[in-house]
Order: sequence, then structure tokens, then C-alpha cells
Amino acid sequence: MTAYIIRTAFFKIITLVIISIISFLIIHLAPGQPSQIDPLNPRFRKEDIARYRAAFDLDKPLWKQYYLFYKKLGSGELKSFKDNQPVLGKIWRRFMNSLPLFVVGTILTWCLSFPMGIPAALNRGGIYDRTTTFLSYFFISFPGFVLAYLLILGVAGMFEVPVLGMRTFGQETAPTLYWLNDRVWHLVLPSLLGAIGGIAFLSRYVRVQMIEVIDSDFVRTAHSKGLDENTVYYVHALRNAALPFVTMFGLLIPALIGGSVIIENIFAWPGMGRMAFEAILARDYPIVISLNFFAAILVLIGTFISDILLVIVDPRIRL
Amino acid sequence: MTIKRLLVFLPLLVTVILLQSYFWVPTFSDQVKGSDRRLSQYISGSIGDAQILNPILHADTTSGAIVEQVFDGLIDRDKNLRFRGRLATSWRIYEETFFAPRPDGPTAEALRDLIRAAVSAKSVPWANEVTGVEIAAAASEKVSIFLPPAKKGQKPRREAFTLAYPARVKVTLKSVDQDFFKKLIILLGQDAFADDPAPYLPEGLDERVKKAALGRVNLTEHNPVIIFKLRQDVRFHDGHEFDSGDVRFTYESIMNPRNLSPRVPDFEPIKTVETPARFTVKVTYKRLYSPAFGTWGMQILPEHLLNKKALEAEARSLGRDLKKFTMRDSGFNRSPLGTGAFKFKEWQSDELIRLVRNDDYWEGPAKYNEYIMRIIPDPLTQEMAFYAGTVDSYGAGTHQVERLRNDPRFQVFSGLSFGFTYIGYNLRREPFKDVRVRRALSMAVDTRKIHKFVLYGEAENITGPFVKQSEHYNKLVKPLPHDPKGAERLLHEAGWKKAGGKLVKDGKQLAFKLVTNNGNESRKAISQVVQDAWKRIGVKVSLDRVEWAVFLQKYINALNFDAVILGWRLGLEPDLYQIWHSSQTNPHQLNFVGYKNSKADDLIIKIRQEYDLKKQVGFAHRLHEIIYRDQPYTFLYVGKWTALLDKKIVVAEKGAGGKSSYRKIHPTPTGNYTYDFRKWLKLPVNPRFEG
Amino acid sequence: MTIGTDALQGDEFAEEILTPWQRIGRSLLQDRFAMWGAVVLVFFFALAIVGWWGTSGDDPYFSPSTIRLPDRLKPPMAKPNLEDVAPGKLPPLGIYPFGTDELGRDVFARMLEGSKFAMAVGFVAVGISMILGVFLGGIAGFHGNKHIGPASLLGAILFPVAGGFLFSEISWWILFPLEGALLFIGVVLGMWVESLPAFGFLKQHPIVNVDTIFIVLVDVQLSFPTFFLILTAIAVLPPSIWNIMVVIGITGWVGPARFVRAEILSLRERPFIEAARAIGAKDMRLIIIHLVPNSLAAVLVSVTIGVPLAILSEAGLSFLGFGVPPPDASWGNILSDGRKFLFDAPWLMFIPGFAILIVVLAFNLFGEGLRDALNPRTRPE
Repeated sequence: MTAYIIRTAFFKIITLVIISIISFLIIHLAPGQPSQIDPLNPRFRKEDIARYRAAFDLDKPLWKQYYLFYKKLGSGELKSFKDNQPVLGKIWRRFMNSLPLFVVGTILTWCLSFPMGIPAALNRGGIYDRTTTFLSYFFISFPGFVLAYLLILGVAGMFEVPVLGMRTFGQETAPTLYWLNDRVWHLVLPSLLGAIGGIAFLSRYVRVQMIEVIDSDFVRTAHSKGLDENTVYYVHALRNAALPFVTMFGLLIPALIGGSVIIENIFAWPGMGRMAFEAILARDYPIVISLNFFAAILVLIGTFISDILLVIVDPRIRL
Repeated sequence: MTIKRLLVFLPLLVTVILLQSYFWVPTFSDQVKGSDRRLSQYISGSIGDAQILNPILHADTTSGAIVEQVFDGLIDRDKNLRFRGRLATSWRIYEETFFAPRPDGPTAEALRDLIRAAVSAKSVPWANEVTGVEIAAAASEKVSIFLPPAKKGQKPRREAFTLAYPARVKVTLKSVDQDFFKKLIILLGQDAFADDPAPYLPEGLDERVKKAALGRVNLTEHNPVIIFKLRQDVRFHDGHEFDSGDVRFTYESIMNPRNLSPRVPDFEPIKTVETPARFTVKVTYKRLYSPAFGTWGMQILPEHLLNKKALEAEARSLGRDLKKFTMRDSGFNRSPLGTGAFKFKEWQSDELIRLVRNDDYWEGPAKYNEYIMRIIPDPLTQEMAFYAGTVDSYGAGTHQVERLRNDPRFQVFSGLSFGFTYIGYNLRREPFKDVRVRRALSMAVDTRKIHKFVLYGEAENITGPFVKQSEHYNKLVKPLPHDPKGAERLLHEAGWKKAGGKLVKDGKQLAFKLVTNNGNESRKAISQVVQDAWKRIGVKVSLDRVEWAVFLQKYINALNFDAVILGWRLGLEPDLYQIWHSSQTNPHQLNFVGYKNSKADDLIIKIRQEYDLKKQVGFAHRLHEIIYRDQPYTFLYVGKWTALLDKKIVVAEKGAGGKSSYRKIHPTPTGNYTYDFRKWLKLPVNPRFEG
Repeated sequence: MTIGTDALQGDEFAEEILTPWQRIGRSLLQDRFAMWGAVVLVFFFALAIVGWWGTSGDDPYFSPSTIRLPDRLKPPMAKPNLEDVAPGKLPPLGIYPFGTDELGRDVFARMLEGSKFAMAVGFVAVGISMILGVFLGGIAGFHGNKHIGPASLLGAILFPVAGGFLFSEISWWILFPLEGALLFIGVVLGMWVESLPAFGFLKQHPIVNVDTIFIVLVDVQLSFPTFFLILTAIAVLPPSIWNIMVVIGITGWVGPARFVRAEILSLRERPFIEAARAIGAKDMRLIIIHLVPNSLAAVLVSVTIGVPLAILSEAGLSFLGFGVPPPDASWGNILSDGRKFLFDAPWLMFIPGFAILIVVLAFNLFGEGLRDALNPRTRPE
């Protein structure tokens, strides 16, 4: 067990190193010398170039630039181009804003996928199965931002109720129940939109897993023993089908974070995704690189937890 | 079984928890649900985040809006755009004039006595104007001049030297009189005045420097002086008293080259700022320049927080290099402190800036408790936030005005922008040298069609170079009629004959290129309307659009264009020197169309030297007429803005007997609806007003 | 097909002997969603071809860029304003089937032009993903259990790092292929060193196998929130439709690579490969004659997953202002330009929005049918 954890952690660290290199190299994609990025861009003035050179130590060889950059990031010295605030603090604040979205999104995904997927597997080919299949693909195919605007238009237009931002202003002094529910309400639409792809995907996956297990011998045996149908499906079959989902936990995180760029922009949500977009528009490279790096760390932590959980729940896996 | 139930129950529970929250959230019509705090907050939306909250350093509109609430200037403009005092209670403008006597003529002393005698005998009509005649001792002045590169490839250089002035005669006048020396010549004769600047220059300057330096010698000098009396009951938000030292400090900070303030050109004409008393400021100018008065709307910085000592202490506490640490690096720019109606509370980057009411404000506290600027980068999101009541104002796009104008939920204000859009012709080139051609081109364009099709009717005609709602704009100038036939006649008169659908003169076709910048959809649309209109009278026009940077570099600054579509954004000061004076027609200058008219030049100078509003307006009206007659531009339109406010916002006023009453928000005659902002308040429901 | 015997090896005993392709075809025909998807796709391809023909050239039949100011923001099916619009600028169909935008441009013509870009972005990007994915997945599948000796690994690390030292000032489009070449040289040199008798002991100490490296690579790619990464790269690169396709393509290799690897792993164990091995067939021959045709189905499935993803990515990029640069119209940028007019001209947002929805849905449903056909157990009975 320990050996497995160490081994997994080792690979995660190697992955992280490669990710840090790629994140750093992305800005070197710019044509020409990185120090002269887009000379026609009036936003890039002389002092910006100077700042850029200082932030990335451009006079040094590439490997040293890389090393110094992450050293500065780690020690909190790295400053945003835009407002000279330390990058770490900025990202942390935005991460804390995004966290409720990620958490509620994850809860929604896991709560809704199973009830959607299992009956579909049990009634394979039935109306319910066909409908959920179609709906899943419908929502996977729906461009998120169009759906977001449809929802906003419907909800905000019909009820004249605020849906944008993290909270309604003026509610700071309201009784706790009002204040709390106001925060919850603002979470509903963006987290639902963030989760919708995950729900569609996961419920499909639940269906496939269930079908595989239902067709397997031990379920047939359970049936033939005369066990009650619900027990067979919901206890024996589901337990076996559920194992691979543990890995899904980690894999759904990147979609949630990547999707947050658009969702947070539409909902004026001051989280990581919006920060990423603003940093990209302002060519705030320290923030852009760090965000790519941190998003990857989040995913790695997620997949790491998944890997460990998988071993704990499934004793067959021993590597 | 439990699992099956759980699988049904859990999602239901989550859904219910999430959805029930709807019933606790305030809606547009019920914004006080849970708490009535919303009524005492004003929330505005902004597309971009603020950059730097320092009045002398900022250059973006969001910072500007915040700075305006946190700081006060000495003066601002009232309902009719006239100046009124803020931190200054009153001001007086007078003038000190100097002239150097001719070296081989009568001495300064003799001239002084001559003038004194004339004044005391009241033998000259301007005797009452003079308050003092003295000798100004010999003095030296440090000057630095900028020399453009002599040849291509050379670098421009700066040359510094000292001018040595002899003893001069100083006459102090009650009010500014730009013609004073003309009057003095009548008394003393032309011979009394020095006319050769060369003796005042130092020895050994090379020819090029000398030539440039001669222009810098002031043989006669006007030094307008403004004396501001300051309010004595004003405190900064930290309780520190405001006084004249803060005013001088603000000026010095702007002029300090280390701060790289973008306000330097506005304050460059100032010679000295002195503080003769704790609440008196004396500003002396180097020359006659009346628009400089308006720059004292500049918000005043607290000296005690930003002077050298304070900055050094800050640098030390941050462990920064004392020499490299300037005002730009100070934490003050992220948590400003002034004398204004609102105090700075917090700034969360890209999210919001929060200000709270200053209860000790000298004008009495504002009605709102909080002023919040939310950063909402997407205009559509802003619009939706406005409909939900979480943002109090919204600037409608031209295409939305029709839909929103009669919406019962909102109050709608609209007004004219400060500025205009035009087609500029390169007057150095054929065929634009001929005024008849320019007039014909203007007459062929149906500006109403542009207003209707490009701007959804949200625009007005404009005929001249001033802000349309200012006094300087001459409302009597009639716009040229839309008359394609007349245009054809004019072209015919100018020698352009029709030949097979073309207009030809001396074997050349009337054809040119109309350029504008990429990325501005309305200019793109205008260029097509105009092209079509000119095609109808036989003028062949090709269109080109280029990126802004390239547009400026290759076309405008290089003076290499036929005609361009552009716009000017104007300030209220009627100074047209940069855009219309004939000396400003070189590459990289703003009179790129090359407009030259000696009468106009004369008026432009007179306007910027005139301190009397009535006279200035008279000059401006004449200038307006001359420029419109010359048609160096085809003036297309001045745009209208439309702003929406929640109807629940009203003006709260103390009526007779100390009872507060509410009234509707009325815009000022010039369209400014936020004029009474400090008295605004939001009511829980839509108010009903009598009448 | 060359391998008719395959069907007999399956779990089910077929009543008639079908080639795998025939089986897939039958299965697809029975799947109603997949058939609808296929019909829509055929229609979309036809539309894209019409769009290609109708909106290209100097004087296209459907002009997507003609500006008619008097006809701004007209709703769908509106008639043009005959008085104020020049006769040469009237829409060829006599009406605006999808309305007009804020400059009076015909949204129908713009949608046609957009279908051309949607197809181009989808297929070029996926083409790039496929090449990368098949290559990497193929190597991992075929050589997965080969071990890499310490010398090759050292070469694989040292050479590119040295390259980074030496050439840090060179621009990326030279540097990146150069690094790739250095990596290759390093590995080959290392393998050569290991093959030398003097260094034979190195072979005794294999460090890592090819499959592990593949998994690390997959992990790296999956750990980036893809959209984030694409957005960053696009923002740094100059705006061009080619950059968009390349970046979307490069980041999309994981899906096809995994498919191909899994397919090859299962194929390797099949008797006909072992038989071919036994006869002494070379690796190359095995790959080309047996493995490639058999994993084509997997590739096809990846295409049906990849194309809609690429279309959605492009739309997302356009939405944020980093998509196909104007004046070209893509569905994404019609949508994002029309966003401002959501309350005034909702069709500008919903027509391209639903077009994307329908095409992407069609791809997905068809893809699902294809997957079911390949893996009959999950198929609705």
C-alpha cells in the first residue's frame, strides 16, 4: 500500500515537472523574441517590455529563466504585471471564490448522474433509456454559453431576480438566512451549467458500467438465488459497477476548471476562470503561467486522491 | 433498498435546497428583501478595472470616477458649465506685466516714473487698471530647449542654458489685459521697448541652438496671477487639516519628473505656486493662457501622506530602494485618501471598489452610505445586472434607446457628447485646395442618413469645432443644406466637367481615397454611406481601413492621406490651438489637415489669451463661423448618450422646516444628470410625483 | 477485407458470416439516433460544400460581407428595404432567411461561410489529433512492454536539455522541431550504446518501459484544463485560423491515442497476429497489413468524438474573442458578435447557437451508434 502511494506520488511529481515546463514554455510560443511580443500592440510599451524582461530574467539562458520563475513564484516574489500584487495571494483569493462553484458542481454531478444512469441501464432500450441518452448528448452538444444565456434570459427575464455575481449587494447586513440563501441562489445557475457536461457524461458512464455488471455471471447467480431484484441491482451490482467511478472524480476536475473560464465570465463570478481570461487579455503572463500550473496541480491532487481511493475500495488492485 | 431510496432522496434534497433559495433573494421591484441596506448604496458598473487611484497619475475612466468621489478640486463647473468654488471659496485673477527697456533708450527707472506720472495724472484711459509700477531687478532664467534631429538618423537633443535679463519695468494690473502693451506703446512710443533678444543670450551657442533660443526670450511678458482663498474647515479623511501646502504639493508632484504624471502639459504654463498664507494660494503663470484656469479642478493630494518623508518611511518599511521609490510605487494608489464626499474602503481587483460616506464632508454628508463600483467586463452582463437591480445605472447603446426609452421601470436621460465626428480633407492636395470642392463634397453627404442608419437617430448635426452645448458654440451658424444638385454646380464652377460619368479637370479625374481606422464599426459604415453619396455626383472614392497604430503612423502623422474619417473628443476649454492653428500643421501635429487661415490664427491666439468670458465667447463665435465657411472638415455629427437609472432613485432635499422631501432627478441645462449625486437616495418603491 | 476469419472468433455465433464492417453497418442501420445523426451530417457536409462554393471568391453568390445599413437587425424571413438598398446589394434569395446583423449583413450567407469554417476547423484539427494520436498510441500499443535502458533515457533527457541551453534565443517554430529531433537522436544514440557489447550490462537494468512513458504523457495532457491551455496558446500566438486548428489539434491527441492503443493491445493477442508472427512476419508488415486496418474503426470513433469537440472549442474561443479573426464569419464569432444584441436581435445568437448544437449533436449521436456497433454489449436491444 505504502509502496503504491509512493510510486503514484512519484509519477505525479514527474508529471508536475513536465507540466511546469510546458506552462512556462507556452509564452515562448510568441513569434520572434519573447521580449518584443507584438511590437504593434500599443498596449506593450517600453516599460512593459522592461517589466517583462525583469519578470522572466530574459537575459539568462532558458533553463535558468525557468528555475528563477518558479523560485519567485514559490517565494511569493512574483508580482502581477497589472497591479503589482503578489501572484500567489491573488490566485488564492480567486481560488477561494471558485471553490463553492467547484464543490456544488461536483455535488450536483454525483447526485444526479446515478439516478439518471442506473434506471437507463435497467431498462436498456426502453423509453427512459432512449430519452436520457438523447438528453445526455443534447446537453453535451449544447454550447455552454448559449445555454447560459438562455437560462439567464429565462430566469432573470421572468423573475427580475439577480443571477450574476457571487451575491446581491446590500445583503451583507441581512439576517443569516437571507444572506446565506442569497449566496446559494447565486450558485445555482453557474454550478448547474458547470456540472451539466459532467452529469451527461457520468450518467452515460454509469449506464455502461451497470450494463457490464448486470450481464456478468455473479449477477445472474444472485438472480437465480432468488434475491429480490432491488437488492441485486442496487446493492450487489451497483457496488461492483461503482468502482471505476472513483477514478472519474479526478478526471472531471479539469473540465470543471476549464469550463469555468466561460461560465465565470458570463456570470461575472470573480473566480479563477475569470482571472485567467482577464490576465490573458491584459497579457499578464505571470498570472497566466501560474494559473495553468495551479490548475494542473489541482487536477493532480484530484487524480491522486482517486488513485488512492481506488486501491482502498478495490482490494484486487495491488501494484 | 436504502441505497435506492438514497439515490432518489439525495438529489431531491440537493435540488430543493438550491431552488428554495430563490425565495430569499431580493428582486428588482423588491430590493429591500432581507435588508434595506441596498437603499443607501449606489452601485455602478464599469467595463474595466481601475489602474491607479491617484488624481495626478491616473489615465483611465474607472480610476477617474473613483478619484472624483474621494478627492476634491479647488473648483469645478456648475449647472451652466461656469466655474464654481469647491476647496477654494473665491479667487481673484490679475496680471503682472514686464518689459525690458531698449539698451540705448531711456532707463527702466525713467520709464517707471513716466508711467507712474501718467497713472497718477489719469492722463491715460487705463489708469484705473494699474495697481503698481515697479522695477524688477535683473534676473536670470534657466531654459532648456528641445531640438529635433537635424538629419535623419540623428537623435533629438536637449540644450540647457541661462538667459540673463536686465532690470525691467513691472506693471501690475487689476485684471488681465492681453492688449496692454499696445496701449503702453501709445504712451511710451515703440522706441522705449527692447526689440533685439540677442544680448540676453549667453555667449558661445551654436547657430542652430541660437536660432531656437531667440524665440524663448521674453522682451515683454504677461504673468497672469490667480489668488485662491481656500476653505478653512476642510479635513482629509484621516482628520488632518487641508491647507495651501497641499495645493502646492499637488502641483509640485505633478511637475516632478520622477512621477511621470500625465497632467504635466496642463500645468506647464505655471511659473510658481506660492502659499503666502495658510489658506491662500498664489499661482503665477509664465504667459497668457486662460484655459489653464480650468486645470484647478485637479483633485488635491494630502501632502502629509506623500511627501518625501512619508515616501521614504514607506520605502524603508517595504525594504525597497529609497532612490527608486516614487509616488507611483506608494500603497496610496491602492488605498487613496482625500477630502472628498466618500472615503475609500476596499478594492478587490477585477471585482469591486467600495467607498463609504465621509460624514464630516465640508458640504454636508452625502445621502448614500456607500458608493460601489463593480467591474463587469461584459456589456451584456451589465445590462442584465441593471435589469435585476444590482447595478443602478446603465449606459444604453444607440440601438437600444428606442426599446428602453419608454420602459416604466427606468428613468431615462440623454444628452450630447463632448466632441464630434468628421471627414477631414488634406488641404495641401488637389482637389481639396479649392474651398468650392470641399463645400460640394459636404453638400453631397446626407448627414441625416448617417444619423438614421448608422446611429439609430441618436445623433445631431454640428457645425463647428466647439462643444455643442457650451457657450462658445455659435448656434447661429447654419449647416450647409443637403443638395447634390448644388454640389454638382459648385464642382462645375470649380472647373470639374462631367465626361462619361466622370468628373474631369485638366485631364485628371476627381478621385481620391478615404481612410479610416479598423475596428470602429460606425466609421466603417459611414465610409460606405459617404462613398455612395459621392458616387452619385460623379466623385470616385476608394475606401481603406487600417489598424489604429498603422493609421496614425503611416497616414496621419506622415500627412499622407486624401481624406479621413475621424472624431475629436473635446474638453470644455475653448482652446483650438493644437487642432486649428497654422503653426501646428507639421508631421506628428494635430492640425494634420493643414488648415491655415490668418484670421482664424489671430482669433485662436486671442481666445486662449482672453480671461474675460464674454469677450472670449465673442471671439469663439467668429472663429466658429470662419472655420465652417472654409469647410476643412465635413462636420458629420455629435453623438448622443443615453443613461438609464432605476426609477426608485430620487433627489432628497431638506425642505422648509427641516423636513426632507423628495423630488425627481432633473438634468442640468447641459444634460448632466449626476449633478446632484450627493443628494441622491433610493426609495423602496417607485415614487409618484405631483404634476 | 482481408480478415474474414475474424467474425468467427467473436463471442456470438453469427448466423451468416459477416465482415466486421458489415456488422457495424447493420448495427448502425438499426440505430435510429445514429441514422438521424448521419442524415444531419450529410446535410451539413452538403451545406458546407455549398458554403464553400457560394461564399468564396471576389464576387460570391451569397455575399457574407456586404453591408446594407438600411437593413440592419432585420428579423429572419424579412424582406429587404428596396428603396434604400442598392440593387446590386440585394440578397440573392430575395429575403433574409436568417435575418441580418447590426451592419445589415445577411446572416444566412454568414452561416454558410461559417459552415465551411466549422468543417475546416473540425476536420483539420482532428486530422492533427489523429496523426499524433495514432502515432503515439500505436507505439504504446505495439512496443508498450519494451524497456528503455538507462543510456537511452539519459540521451532522451540530456539532448533536449542541452538544446534548451544552447538555443534558448531561437524562436519556437525552429526550436520545437529541433528539440524533437534532439530527443530522437538522444534515444537512438542511447540504444546504440546499449547494443555495444562493452555496455551490455546496461541492458540488465531497464528503468522504465514505453507504456509508462505513454501514461505519463497522457497524465500531463489530462492534467491541463484543456480549454485553459488552448486559450493561453491562442492568445499568445498571432490571430489566425491555422493557429486555432493546430492548437486544438495538438491538445486533442489523448482520446485517439488511447483508443488506438487499446485496440492494438487487444489485436495483438488475437490468434491471427500470433499466426502471422509465427510465419515470421516483420513488425512493419504486421502494423501495415493487420493492425492499421483493424484499428481504423477505433480511429473513426475518435473522429466522431473529436470533430464536435473541436467545433465547440472554436465556438468557445470565438465567444471570448479569440476565434476565427474577422472579417471571416465562423459560427462562433457570429454568435459572439450577436451577443450584444441579445435583447434586440436574439436570432443573432440563437441561429448559430442552434446550428452548433445540431451539428455537434449529430456527430455525437452518430459516434454513439458507431461505438455501440463496435461494442455490441452496451447496445440497446
